[in-house]
Amino acid sequence: MKRRVIAAGCIALTLGLTATACGDDGGDGDKGDKADGKGKTLTVWIMEGTNPDPRPFFKEVGAAFEKKTGAKIKVEYQQWATAQKKFTTAIEGGPDQVPDVAEVGTTWVPQFAETDALVDVTDDVKKADLAGDLVEGLKDAGTLDGKQYGMPWYAGVRSIVYRKDIFEKHDLKPPTTWKELQETAKKLKEKEPGMVAFPVAGGAEMFAAPFVWGAGGELATQDGDTWKSAINSPEAVKGIKYYTDLATKDKVSPAKVNTWTEKEVGDAWNKGQISMAVGGNWTPKAITDANPKLKGKLGAVPIPGEKGGMSKSFLGGSYLSVFDTDKKDLGWELVKLMTTGEFAAKWAKQTNYFPGQNSELKKIEQQKDPLVEPFAKQMLEAGATVPKTKAYGEIQASKVIPRMVQSILTGKSSVQEAADQAAKDMDEIFAKDK
Amino acid sequence: MKDTLVSGEPKATIPSARGSRPADGAAEAARRRKKLITLTRPWLLLAPSLVVLAGLLLWPLIQVGKLSLEDYKVKFGGGESTFTGLDHYQDLLSSDLLWKTVLPNTVFFAFACVGLTVALGTAVALLLNRLGPTWKLICSVSILAAWAMPAVTGTYVWIWLFQPQDGMVSQLADSLGLIDAETTNWFTERLPFYVIATINVVHHGFPFVAITVLAGLLTIPKELYEAGEIDGANAWQRFWKITVPTIKPVFLVVTILSTIWDFKVFTQVFLMPGGSGDNPDVYNLGVYSYIEAFAKNDYGAGAAAAVLLTLLLLVITIVYIRTLFRQGEEDL
Repeated sequence: MKRRVIAAGCIALTLGLTATACGDDGGDGDKGDKADGKGKTLTVWIMEGTNPDPRPFFKEVGAAFEKKTGAKIKVEYQQWATAQKKFTTAIEGGPDQVPDVAEVGTTWVPQFAETDALVDVTDDVKKADLAGDLVEGLKDAGTLDGKQYGMPWYAGVRSIVYRKDIFEKHDLKPPTTWKELQETAKKLKEKEPGMVAFPVAGGAEMFAAPFVWGAGGELATQDGDTWKSAINSPEAVKGIKYYTDLATKDKVSPAKVNTWTEKEVGDAWNKGQISMAVGGNWTPKAITDANPKLKGKLGAVPIPGEKGGMSKSFLGGSYLSVFDTDKKDLGWELVKLMTTGEFAAKWAKQTNYFPGQNSELKKIEQQKDPLVEPFAKQMLEAGATVPKTKAYGEIQASKVIPRMVQSILTGKSSVQEAADQAAKDMDEIFAKDK
Repeated sequence: MKDTLVSGEPKATIPSARGSRPADGAAEAARRRKKLITLTRPWLLLAPSLVVLAGLLLWPLIQVGKLSLEDYKVKFGGGESTFTGLDHYQDLLSSDLLWKTVLPNTVFFAFACVGLTVALGTAVALLLNRLGPTWKLICSVSILAAWAMPAVTGTYVWIWLFQPQDGMVSQLADSLGLIDAETTNWFTERLPFYVIATINVVHHGFPFVAITVLAGLLTIPKELYEAGEIDGANAWQRFWKITVPTIKPVFLVVTILSTIWDFKVFTQVFLMPGGSGDNPDVYNLGVYSYIEAFAKNDYGAGAAAAVLLTLLLLVITIVYIRTLFRQGEEDL
């Protein structure tokens, strides 16, 4: 037993040395020694639920990484719902508590970076010649003050998902302008009164945001170091009004939807109760997995712009970031391994998300899958990020936008009043965090 | 000095009663040891639980108190705190949201829940007391099931029942013509929201009251009721003149405990649609504190709200306990 371990160690050592030596071309000389990970184990936190079964994938990654550096990886799976608090607690605990490498949601990056827990990898990215190939919006999401805190790993975007069978039955076409969207929704409501024509979900921030952006508005704007809300600007208000009018005036979304989050919208899709809705690139697969009867009956189209084109939609995703532990050099090696080439493509394929590199994304776009292409188009041409500041994470967590949308939907305030209140709430949080 | 005085005095009186001096000294030492033991023993016996309580309750309590006086910022390897004095309390107590929404929601909701829980629990206890063994078993098991249900599960069951448009209650109300299911969402308005939350909390809380009151009922001698019946008291009079006075302490205990539980309700409100921050009309102190601390990362403000809740409960509990003790004295 013992002999075998030693033998394995020797093999790993040799392989590790050769691998790092090969990978070191052009880098400075001492870098190679640092990445020798014989006998070391990296702790890696990965979010649960993106990949239906991530274990085989990480087995392969672990083997490849051990072959390359001699170090092992230990993957610990985390829940999206609780991970942010777990990260915060670990960061508070310092280098002994945090993972060496972790999947970090793009909107968390500002908060974690501010605590000095994440390693700035800007130079490493340049050195590895990866900078040019990163999807711009995604690269931007994890870059603060010119410092990039990790590598984009995968990303997703929301467009519009619709029931192809129902559209065909009533001879409807996927909408390409806001007016068409409204007309289509009204017709769907008339022809299929038992279904929700277009859910205006009060609890789903990212359903509302495209209409703010689509009308030319912004959630907040940056001026130097300070952020200011822009949610009550005339453009933004126009977008919010269009979106909420769909429910309050056109009645294409019944009262029950007022308190729905994306989860409830998903449940309703699975039950076949939705004919058209904002949905992510992961939505079609999730629906057909839960309800195989809907296979082949779904279609997708980018969120239309007001008068054609596309409305921007939130480009969310995950970074693989290195935490500031004594194994950060090894950590970077692992990040490089997972976010480029074979493993990046494999992960994207298994999860139905998009890789963070233009070259890989192009490959997917070229496959012309009707349930993938619209999303890829939306992502490449009309992706947007939320304000890159820790404060915006807090604004999201305290549900400023859902609160605004809900108070309009329930008739408690007018669009302008609700937007003014939301702007006030946002500015309070921006001011506090300065 | 004092010691010698104290030990000196008995010397004058005791020798006449007891024997020689050496024996007297030994008795003295023994008595002193005994006194020491009587003084320290209770504390020694209490020590393990006191240590545990201090570690698990007192220390966090002190930390929350300290946090409420600070601005806290998470940093890698240990946070930074800045002392801000009573700023958080000032902000909290001068906020409209607290006085117009958060406190009224908390207080009215708690009192409604306590009143209904105790009333329903007592009614069920009276019922159980009259049932035969088989039905008693069936009823006890079913109410205990309600008690054993985790708050999360119970909350989702009630959410489903009241689900707008699709829930059973919504469809029933719609078919009776009470509401238009398509345009009614009970979770967005304060009153219906809290009615549903109250039903949920009462459903979860009444079994404890029922079982405790039943235990009290079993201790009341049958003769009292017989005497009452002979004197011509009806059931209503017998309940108020015999049952209630006899087991008043039991009622006080269940009321205190229910009050404490119902003031700090969090799960049942937070999990309801719109309860986690989307709708400020339905905030209670627990949810408010959570949102300040963990959504806005304003740990100090959240701690201040938590301290306020603790103080509120402390006042209510002290009032109750004083009533309880006065009650005890009267009975003697």
